[in-house]
Amino acid sequence: MVKHIFTLIWNKKKSNFLLFLEILLSFLILFAVFALVIDYLRVYQEPLGFNTENLWIAHLDFDDRTDTLVVEETKANLYRELLSNPDIESVSFADRKSLLSGSSSSWGSDENGFFLQTLLYSSDIGFKKTAELNLVAGRWFNESDKTAKYTPIIINRKLAEGAFKGREVIDSIFTIRKEVKIVGIVDHYNAFGEFEDEDSVALFYEPKESISTPSLYIRTKANANASWEEKANQTIAQITKDKGFVINNLDRQRKEDNKAVWIPMIAMLCICTFLVINVALGLFGILWYNINQRKAEIGLRRTLGASRTDISAQFIGEVLMVVGFAIFVGIGFAIQFPLMKIFDFENINYYYAILGAASVILVVVLICAYYPSRQAALIRPALALHED
Amino acid sequence: MIKLQNINKVYRTKTVETLALNNINLTIPAGEFLSIMGPSGCGKSTLLNIMGLIDEPSEGSIEIAGQTLPDYNAKSIAKFRNEKLGFIFQSFHLINDLSIIDNVELPLLYRRVGSKERKALAEEALIKVGLKNRMQHFPGQLSGGQKQRVAIARAIVGQPDIILADEPTGNLDSSMGNEIMDILLRLNQEQGTTIVMVTHDESMARKTNRLIRLFDGNQVQ
Repeated sequence: MVKHIFTLIWNKKKSNFLLFLEILLSFLILFAVFALVIDYLRVYQEPLGFNTENLWIAHLDFDDRTDTLVVEETKANLYRELLSNPDIESVSFADRKSLLSGSSSSWGSDENGFFLQTLLYSSDIGFKKTAELNLVAGRWFNESDKTAKYTPIIINRKLAEGAFKGREVIDSIFTIRKEVKIVGIVDHYNAFGEFEDEDSVALFYEPKESISTPSLYIRTKANANASWEEKANQTIAQITKDKGFVINNLDRQRKEDNKAVWIPMIAMLCICTFLVINVALGLFGILWYNINQRKAEIGLRRTLGASRTDISAQFIGEVLMVVGFAIFVGIGFAIQFPLMKIFDFENINYYYAILGAASVILVVVLICAYYPSRQAALIRPALALHED
Repeated sequence: MIKLQNINKVYRTKTVETLALNNINLTIPAGEFLSIMGPSGCGKSTLLNIMGLIDEPSEGSIEIAGQTLPDYNAKSIAKFRNEKLGFIFQSFHLINDLSIIDNVELPLLYRRVGSKERKALAEEALIKVGLKNRMQHFPGQLSGGQKQRVAIARAIVGQPDIILADEPTGNLDSSMGNEIMDILLRLNQEQGTTIVMVTHDESMARKTNRLIRLFDGNQVQ
């Protein structure tokens, strides 16, 4: 029967070509969208490494010409006054790019005898508690680091298991922009947000009075009174003698950033759904047309001994063969993406996307082919032959 | 042997009831070549369809090759048709997208005969009807007479006991009609195949063993 169906399909290749093309293009579009969505979802599942809930940021404007003593005094006052607010749990200073800023500084070199590339951030001692970073090895910065010979840094696991793989890193000296000593490793640190892959990170220690860490991070208590923000605003304005800052909620910012990815992703999936519906309607139409055009053939086959199941199988088999061939060719194209590493996606994403696109198309085809094929099987041979 | 007893066929619509066959009793012994004649719309094709089990009578019983039908379910009837009956139609009913040999193989396909054996039997049948050189052609490349010979090859490929032919020469000129008739006569005489043929052509009918006439659904001769 398979050979018979193949012969029939082959002999009607011209009329089947459009269906083949429709399915091939649909497969490739679904594959592309699925690959993208799967990659986004995979990245989304990875932890950020910090907790944005109840986390706030205010970028303060310290002029480079400001006296370091003034900066030190201002920061010390901010620390003291803000921590005296019962709604605030912790406060720290870090650089402007440290969390969800969308920008970064990077450094790459083979000065250590191996290639090392990493993003660079800096923070004070309180940053671990404020951002809720998870230290997995070594220690966090402490007051003794202020006078240390080498600048202490914390790296993320990605860097530890990447460029430093197989090397003793804790308390080791390396060159990262300058001579540094790695004192600890955090589990994750993905400063770019949930829809970006985590990169290698080196977090430099900066004393809290440093002018290089002008961003004030505030973690409020879970049950903080809503008025804390107004009080904090007044405190900061009073101490910095500046009203040009804004206290932003990092959780809200994270959600807004995510919306910029979710919305196009949902739009793409909606377009795909419409595409699939169109394919389904097209297939349904083609099958009905085919069955109406081939009533005499159905009558003849029934007369010659085909059972109703044979007739259903014939029509479902014909569609499945054309669709199967289109998917096969589609997979031929799709498989080039992982083989040739066209995009920076993990290979498994492509394989899931191939599986997903093929499954969606096959399920739609089976659903669309089932009813018309059942109807074809119910055609009475005498009537069908007479109509012709 | 075909035995029809008290066959009635009524076509009903919401407003009209048409009596297509009225109390037909007919026995066709094995090996007979019977022709059925009558004016258009008298019920000839309906009677042939009932004998071929592709239509059901409203009343009456049918016995073919010792088996009373249609007590069987649809699947068994399809199997019975496939094994015992061969069909030839006025408009040939060849599948244009299949080659001649693939068309002839069709009944064997539904008998689940293997590909190689199917091909061999189809070739043999096509040789019998003189179309050995046309096996890979398509129906669109053949004349009417050749198409009907393909239809005969398809009817005989499964070596059925009975062939039911509905105006097999109706679409052909007289010389081609005679050729087709000669093939059918040869099948009947040499292989003992029972043939029931509906025809409008008196001269063709006279070549058969027996002739019955229908008029308005009644057997008049």
